[in-house]
Amino acid sequence: MSPGRLKRILGRIPLHVIVISLVVLWLVPTLGVFVTSFRSRQAVRTSGWWMVLSKPPVPSQQEYATACASCHGADGKALATADLSDPEVVGEYTRTNRLLQMLRQEVDGQPHVQDAEWQALVQDQSRTKEVLDKLAPVGQHLAALSGGSLAVDYGLTASNWIDALVGYKGTTTYQQECATGVSESGKFKCDASDLLNPEGMSRAFLNSLLVTVPSAILPILFAAFAAYAFAWLDFRGRTWMFALLVGLQIVPLQMTLVPIAQLYSRLGLESSFFGIWLFHTGFGLPYAIYLLRNFLGGLPRDLFESIYLDGANHWTAFWRLAIPLSVPAIASLGIFQFLWVWNDLLVAIILLPGNPVLTYQITNLIDPRGGNWHLLTAAAFLSMIVPMLVFLAFQRYFVRGLLAGAVKG
Amino acid sequence: MKKLLSITLIAILLLTLIPASAMAQEPVTCQDEVTVQKDDWLSKYADKYLGNAYAWPAIFQWHNQAAEAEPDKFPNQIVNPDLIEVGWTICIPTAEDATDFLATYTEGVDCMGAAAGDEVSVLYQWSGSEEEKLNTVVKPLVDACGLEIVATTTRDAAVLDTKAKSTPPDVVFWPTTAPLTLYTDLLKDLGDLGADPANYAPFWQDMGTVGGRWLAAPVKADIKTIIWYSPANFDLFGYAVPTTWGELEALVEQMVADGNVPWSMGMESGPATGWTGSDFIQDILLVQQGPQYVLNVIDGTVAYNDAGVMQAYETYGKWAKDETYTVGGATGTVSTGFLDAIYKVFSDPPEAMMVKQSGFAGGEVAAEYPDLVYGTDYDFFAVPGARGMQGGADFMMAFGDSPAAKALVAYLAGPRGAREWAGVGFDLSPNRMALGSYNDPALIKKSLALAGAAGFTPDIGDTIPAPFGEAEWKALVDYVNGEDLATALAAAAAAQADALK
Amino acid sequence: MVPKIMKQGALTPWLYLSAALLIMLLFIVYPTIRTVTLSLRDKAGAQPATVDCVAGEPCWGVLENYRYALTNPEMLQALRNNALWILLMVPGTVGAGLLFAVLTDRVRYERLAKTIIFLPMAISFVGAGVIWRFVYFLETGEGAQIGVLNAIIAGLGGQPVAWLTNSNWMVNNVSLWIVGTWLWAGFCMTILSAALKAVPTEILEASRVDGASEWQVFWRIMFPLILPTVTVVTTTMIINILKVFDIVFVMTNGLNGTEVIANRMFKFIVTNQGRSMAIAGLLIVLTIPIMIFNVRRFREQEEIR
Repeated sequence: MSPGRLKRILGRIPLHVIVISLVVLWLVPTLGVFVTSFRSRQAVRTSGWWMVLSKPPVPSQQEYATACASCHGADGKALATADLSDPEVVGEYTRTNRLLQMLRQEVDGQPHVQDAEWQALVQDQSRTKEVLDKLAPVGQHLAALSGGSLAVDYGLTASNWIDALVGYKGTTTYQQECATGVSESGKFKCDASDLLNPEGMSRAFLNSLLVTVPSAILPILFAAFAAYAFAWLDFRGRTWMFALLVGLQIVPLQMTLVPIAQLYSRLGLESSFFGIWLFHTGFGLPYAIYLLRNFLGGLPRDLFESIYLDGANHWTAFWRLAIPLSVPAIASLGIFQFLWVWNDLLVAIILLPGNPVLTYQITNLIDPRGGNWHLLTAAAFLSMIVPMLVFLAFQRYFVRGLLAGAVKG
Repeated sequence: MKKLLSITLIAILLLTLIPASAMAQEPVTCQDEVTVQKDDWLSKYADKYLGNAYAWPAIFQWHNQAAEAEPDKFPNQIVNPDLIEVGWTICIPTAEDATDFLATYTEGVDCMGAAAGDEVSVLYQWSGSEEEKLNTVVKPLVDACGLEIVATTTRDAAVLDTKAKSTPPDVVFWPTTAPLTLYTDLLKDLGDLGADPANYAPFWQDMGTVGGRWLAAPVKADIKTIIWYSPANFDLFGYAVPTTWGELEALVEQMVADGNVPWSMGMESGPATGWTGSDFIQDILLVQQGPQYVLNVIDGTVAYNDAGVMQAYETYGKWAKDETYTVGGATGTVSTGFLDAIYKVFSDPPEAMMVKQSGFAGGEVAAEYPDLVYGTDYDFFAVPGARGMQGGADFMMAFGDSPAAKALVAYLAGPRGAREWAGVGFDLSPNRMALGSYNDPALIKKSLALAGAAGFTPDIGDTIPAPFGEAEWKALVDYVNGEDLATALAAAAAAQADALK
Repeated sequence: MVPKIMKQGALTPWLYLSAALLIMLLFIVYPTIRTVTLSLRDKAGAQPATVDCVAGEPCWGVLENYRYALTNPEMLQALRNNALWILLMVPGTVGAGLLFAVLTDRVRYERLAKTIIFLPMAISFVGAGVIWRFVYFLETGEGAQIGVLNAIIAGLGGQPVAWLTNSNWMVNNVSLWIVGTWLWAGFCMTILSAALKAVPTEILEASRVDGASEWQVFWRIMFPLILPTVTVVTTTMIINILKVFDIVFVMTNGLNGTEVIANRMFKFIVTNQGRSMAIAGLLIVLTIPIMIFNVRRFREQEEIR
């Protein structure tokens, strides 16, 4: 390798380091939730998401060895009448408070615990709190001996994703509900057709597409024309209308909902797709025109002059010059408008009741008080797939050098 | 000719008499005919004669049928099941008749003229598993009448407002009576929609009446003036459930001496952060000042920075800001989520001994710790010394009066809807007809607590128009985070005056 | 002045403009006029705002609601917060966006890097709320810290911090700004990246051949060429931050010193319309300096062409 090349590679290392660390920094919060979406509720509440690849802590065996093993044996099976490996026997006492209560009672006229130190501890009413903390590992060890049913599951599970997809809102999981092949509550069919459940994501997904695609295309269409006018046409009031364009962007969404909803009601548009397309178009126009005007205005005038010399008029210039050259700007706009409408909840609730969109379905997964929020972790990502695909698809329009050939020619 | 005419006339007269006599029904069989004495209730008779106090609707309806059939024997019809007068003669049905009657009584679903496929638009705050419960409750109606319920879920009052002003939903379920004052002219009288006010206790009717029109019926209620604890832990440490406020304070000190943390408090709740604290403060007010004082705060006669309110805040702050009394101290109180605060009392080993929380907490504990048993591992006791019961309710209101809307309203306000509601366990149903249908022991205990309450005090923050509620929460959070109490309350009092203007 | 390179009829501009103008008139101008009208009336919109005047206190007549918007302590806190947000977050996001746009332009994994930086924008506010709840989570009892930040602090032996409910309002605001920057930097990056791509490569190559360093190439040549876009992005960010609502509402609801203007407006929107509209009117008034600035730059650019 030549010294020059080596120098160049080394020179670029700082660049890569910076870019990669920034990217990682940006990714960490999202990554955290992505990992969390694969964990069970219990695991989420007790450990951070970065622990997902580690094993759950093993309960200490020392307390059991000192206090219980002398009579019950190391495997719990030494006493036939009290077989600690039997879940039926142990099931009652895996909670430390119950365990302690039971240990305080006599067995066959004798104190339950044989070990002198432990015995004194257990019987001492004034140190109950201390004993509870000390006994906790014993309870966990008992659970482990009898089959580990209470051990926190650190493993990865797809239940959040499945629940979100089919719209399961109960207290366990869809998989448990359909464990026997027949839905316990009668709500699900327990086969693939559950994916089409109206309370799941599938119909909402289609509704979202139906709302978003036209709402993204229409504003671009109207904005392109208007932006061209602001950039290359002369008309009275250009300046103050441009000022207005800037100002109108501040109008908060909530201000526009009541008058428009009332208007729609009078016109009979209250629950129509056409109405919501028009609303999103209207709301997105000021910003769209503002952005596009900037790009269109930045095109060199020589291009227009040369095309005029070739005998074109504004209409031709618009279609054959302005639009193709501002493709990156149009792509940006398309992405933003798509995102904004795809993630919108408020407008959809008011102008399109009865046709739930994805955001609506997602907020409906959780209880009003926030129970079942673990479903949000998966649902949010399901909703994010489409906008990201759109972003990736539009990336190819962010191409350098669209102007290069034009200037030369 | 004349003879024929007179015979025809007599025949016609005779013919009309036949239906009349048929309408005069056959006499109704009574197991017994009781004369009402002082302190007699229908439920007492039900208990004595039918073996179940909750079977009183059978007597209610059976007697009225008897009164219609034999008006001379039973001159008094029962209009309000709570009001039977001394001296009346009541017809008690036989046990068989009662059972048969109750069976048919609950089968009936009246479609009120709605046709299959009719839509009724509904708006409510319920989502997730709560929405599922509602769907279960109305399923009999939907199946019987073929109705289509188009539901919108939102917790946003602005969405309700926008819809009310443009395309109002047929029926609304809302956790406060705020829509009553905001949309009085748009709401329909529930009586006109087929709902029976007699199914609700007078204080419920009053809450839902504006200008003489009954506009809101409570469909779901929860009690708040209760404290959840673990009886197993109490047994272990030798604690007794306190019956007076003094005993509670002594218990707290005892817990501290034992090395336990008495309280678990968590106010964090996203946009609604602070509501658990304001509930606690109101319960303290019920103990220290009484229900009339609370009502005075609600209508503005007492300012929010009055000495009584300050005293309640100080009592609360003594516990909430100190980490010996509550998990995490002030930071814990403000930053812990309210659900996490509930869980801390029932974890193993427990991080705290008590949490003051509404009735729904029981369901959350059961969901999080399925191995726990109600009564042994988790239970509640009423806040000792509280004169009155604080609670919350969801009210049903109607903007529309289409047949489908009528069907829904009449169903939920009637016996079938009430029984379904109680059976599904969707919190308490204030509908009288729900009594006897609860399956959940915790709910039964709560319903008795609600029924026995001296007075039902609405939540201050829910009743004073918004945004007082949020000002109240802000005062609370600021105070717990270290701000001077007088300053914090002055701001809330200003918001109170402003909201009530 | 618009270069009159091509002939245009008097009607031509209006053909291009009419559709957009009509739609905007209906969906934005009409509600704005209604907003301003209602801001001069009382809480239910029935009478002029003067009825809200209290005897013995200053009264601004029909502008009574504006008096509230400008003098109420909560509003003053909100105004202070929005000002701080603008001063810190606008340079933050635009700068970050510019940095990302320039840097990712030079690496081969450009698409991947840009996708990751842009990812937060694709997540709805519901999702973003969940994500940052996990980052800022504080465990006050005996459990482990499950929030990244507090876990790192506890791991290093420090005392976990309450990021959103701190008694120090600055901490809470900084936490929200971090979320805002994380969300919006990708937006700025996307637009600035589009502008960067439009800079003809020949000019850049030529200057490099002339011996300019990368820094000089950026500052002396690239930046001036994309300056109009920087203006647009900055303007858009200022407007977005002036009306910021979702982040604050979902994460703190304005508590602990994090109140913002749009949140105040939302609190009154049902029960006191006049006030709510006046706060929105205040937002519109605050936009005027931005409008003036934009018009000036608009004219300057036209001169150059």
